Amino acid sequence: MSRDDETARRVTELEALDRILAREPIAEEHLELAALVDSVRAGAPSIDPAFAASLEARLAARSPRRRAGRGARPRAGQLAFASGGLVAAAVALTILLSGSVRHDLFGGGGGAVTSLRPGNGAASHSAPVAPRSAHTFSGAAANLNSGAAATPNRAAAAPAAHGRLVQRGSSLTLSTPAASMQSVANQVVTATEQLGGVVENSQISIQGRSSYSSFVLQIASGRLGRLISTLSSLGGVAALNQSTQDITNPYDREVALLAQRIATRASLRKQLAGALTDAQIASLRKQIGQLNARIAIEQETIARLGRDAANATLGVQLVVGAAQTRSGHAGALTRAYHDALHALEEILAIALVVLAIVLPFAISGLALWWAATAVRQRARERAIRAA
Amino acid sequence: MSVIAALPDEVAGARERFDQLYRSSAADVYAYVASLLRDRSAAEDVTALAFERAFRRRALLDLRRGTPRAWLFAIARNAALDELRRRRRVGSIVGELADEGALDDVDEALAERRVLVREGLASLDARDREVILLKFLGRLSNAELARVLRCSESNAGTRLHRAIERLREVCGVPR
Repeated sequence: MSRDDETARRVTELEALDRILAREPIAEEHLELAALVDSVRAGAPSIDPAFAASLEARLAARSPRRRAGRGARPRAGQLAFASGGLVAAAVALTILLSGSVRHDLFGGGGGAVTSLRPGNGAASHSAPVAPRSAHTFSGAAANLNSGAAATPNRAAAAPAAHGRLVQRGSSLTLSTPAASMQSVANQVVTATEQLGGVVENSQISIQGRSSYSSFVLQIASGRLGRLISTLSSLGGVAALNQSTQDITNPYDREVALLAQRIATRASLRKQLAGALTDAQIASLRKQIGQLNARIAIEQETIARLGRDAANATLGVQLVVGAAQTRSGHAGALTRAYHDALHALEEILAIALVVLAIVLPFAISGLALWWAATAVRQRARERAIRAA
Repeated sequence: MSVIAALPDEVAGARERFDQLYRSSAADVYAYVASLLRDRSAAEDVTALAFERAFRRRALLDLRRGTPRAWLFAIARNAALDELRRRRRVGSIVGELADEGALDDVDEALAERRVLVREGLASLDARDREVILLKFLGRLSNAELARVLRCSESNAGTRLHRAIERLREVCGVPR
């Protein structure tokens, strides 16, 4: 018999076998096969009815017992839903935390402000700064003035977060329609005063499309961020720059000099008390007078440095431009759009980080599971061969 | 008691399917496992284990990949092979199956033939015996047989046909 004939016979017989098992009619030539199937099936061990009943009872009892005892086995969908909920909660928490950090940086703390130039796309970031309050410095000056503390404690005088004195200056350029120039200028003044700032200098010129306004505002360093944020909503932000200068070293130098001069003055006063001749007395009084003048200058310098650190200067310019008011309806929509995009970016970044952490474990776990399954299956095949 | 009655939280259709599967397959699964293990007690344990596994994994049953019967036999096969592995490790002595008493009500020639086939089947290599049992008792299609045996469909067909030929040979049954 050829190989093809053999294959054809095998196929025919297997088809006949399927018909036998399905209890369909077969050709006479396959009756022997049917008898073989019948013999195998008839000779197979039959299940004990008692065991069958007990197995059915066990299966029937299985589910309720589990639910009463250890709780229901969660389905894949429920697990996925729970996992999704956990991930969403983690993402929301992270966004909240990052949002509060950003609020601290930009709003409440008046720290880092990003310099934006929407026109040319340039951007630079300033370092976080540590503002000091005005009354803190006046307190320090009072200490020096009394002469009680020859070397004032800078940390005590200025309990800033980082112990540094930083002078801050910012400039903000807003574009506004010519028709709104006067109104926006008024709002700049109002917003500044509402936050406790002062308008040091202002210039407003209303001349159609050539209108412009400029302001020099002074405000407590801690409120600079809020003021910028408020003013930014009055028009389109054309430019925002911030500069910072650390004045800690000049301040410390002046304080040390002042302490030295106060000590010298005290020494001269002692000498004056013990002076015997008129010439000595006159000379000492002259030196003390000169020192008093220098001490006054030092104190003024220290106070000025303190004011510089406590207050920030904000230059505001209003120029005529398209009506890009962020406070307007379109502005709100744009801002919402950007906020949404930003939130999505953050979620994506977090998801990527989570994925980067989880993926290697998942791949390793899958590989281990696959290897264990393959090994177990091989062992099973070996077992059937050896049986 | 019906299995359905014990599953109040399941979808009625799914419960009905599992109950039906149990009723239609329990005897065949047991026969297959007992023939493979040649030990009634172990066969009962393995059959129970197979149905419990099937019950636990019933949500994973994918009807596109085969019938529930084929899926159940695959579970039973794995459980039976695990039992064989366990025996190899602990060196259990396998008790032979007692003779079936169902030969009393058939004529002598048929009874003789059935005894011949049973003995022939028992003398076969375990792999040949397994494929015959899966086909004859499980009534699996060749595709399902291939899935259970983890081989190609043509390979499953070849193995099955070869096993039938060997059974015929050892039983001295003419073709």
